[in-house]
This record gives sequence, structure tokens and C-alpha cells, in this order.
Amino acid sequence: MRVWSSEHVFGHPWDTVIKAAMRKYPNPMNPSVVGVDVLERSVDSRGRLHSHRLLSTEWGLPGLVRAILGTSRTLTYIREHSIVDPVGKKMELCSTNITLTNWVSVSERLVYTPHPEDPGRTVLTQEAVITVKGISLGSYLESLMANTISSNAKKE
Amino acid sequence: MTSESAATADAMNSVGEACTDMKREYDQCFNRWFAEKFLKGDCSGDPCTDLFKRYQQCVQKAIKEKEIPIEGLEFMGHGKEKPESSS
Repeated sequence: MRVWSSEHVFGHPWDTVIKAAMRKYPNPMNPSVVGVDVLERSVDSRGRLHSHRLLSTEWGLPGLVRAILGTSRTLTYIREHSIVDPVGKKMELCSTNITLTNWVSVSERLVYTPHPEDPGRTVLTQEAVITVKGISLGSYLESLMANTISSNAKKE
Repeated sequence: MTSESAATADAMNSVGEACTDMKREYDQCFNRWFAEKFLKGDCSGDPCTDLFKRYQQCVQKAIKEKEIPIEGLEFMGHGKEKPESSS
């Protein structure tokens, strides 16, 4: 299991960042996301918007890796749940893969809040937990995926 | 976060190829409502409901056809059983 986390500050107010975050894909810095669909969307009794989305990603896994994983799929799917609180100014996203789950689990959590000292800026805290299951290359693949997520986050 | 990204944001595809146009129409409606109403505290009705229903039906069909393992959502009335034959 590998845990990776980071914090990033955007030089824009929270509303601006959230509008952009909702329209994050396509993202030329992360071309692996090739499809986005909204599965469900509703406003709860506290006025927060819940969205459940399905992301289709193409990792471009080499043929050998796909043979080892025993999959002919080239697309992997991720399920994302986001909650936007427009009054409390907090957006939280949790995502996890729903395919290849016998082999790997990648869970991410992102939280956007206004910078505590400057409302013209926004803080994003991001964490990911990666677990590769049942194969001896586990640690190597985990660090490979962590590096990919880390470099993607820096590009965004 | 530039105006260019506003144009390309609607160019994302749907999991179901037939659903992409519906998705983009819904996304435009949603993004407008989200920015101009929701974030500004306007709780008046969601104007995108009909668009979303049509789009959601299409996506639901595509998910079943592609056997994507989605669980725990209201509209997914079926369990994990696979269809006997493909349509």
C-alpha cells in the first residue's frame, strides 16, 4: 500500500476554481481520461450538490501488462463522488477504480477550500491510496502509479 | 481556467458513443446553472432535468451493454446478473 498526498494553492478564488474543476476534462495534461459521464446528481437537504460520475480512462497499458492482468480491456473505469457546498465553500471529490479491482485499488480524495488567509486564493489538498494486490511486482507497480498520479497533479 | 478551456470542456465523450451529443447538451445546461445559480445561492429549480433524464437513460443502456460494474445507484435496478443474450 502506498499513500501519497499533496497540497496546492491556486491563485484564484474558490468559485472560479470550482467552476473549472467541474469542467476539468478534457485535460491535455491528463489525456488518459477519455470519457466522463454523470450517473446521478442531486441537491441534499443541506443545499449541497452531490454528483456521481463515471470516468473512462485509457492508461495505454503495454500488451504484456494486460496479458499479466488477464484483461483484454484497454479502458479502465473510475467512479467519482463529489460534494459541493456553496455556502461553506468546500468541494470534496472521492474517486476509486471499479475495474481491475482484483489487481489494484486506487482511491483519491480531493478537497478544495478557500485559502484561510486570502479569499482570492484556493487550497487543494489531494491524497491517494494505492494498493496492488497479490503479485510480487506489487511495490514496483505501486511506485509507478504513485509517480504517475504525482506528475499528473503537478500538471493540473 | 481560461476561456479556451471553456470551449474544449464540452468536447469530452460519453461512455456510450450514442450518448455524446446528449451529454454535451446536458453539460452546457448544467455548467450554466452551476455557475450562474447554484454557486450564487440561487436554489430555484434545476432547468436541466429533462435533458438529464434523456441522457441518463442512454448512459444506463450503455453501461449495461458494456457490463461496467456500477453498484449502489438508484437507477441501477438490476443486480450483477449478466444479460442472457446481447441485443
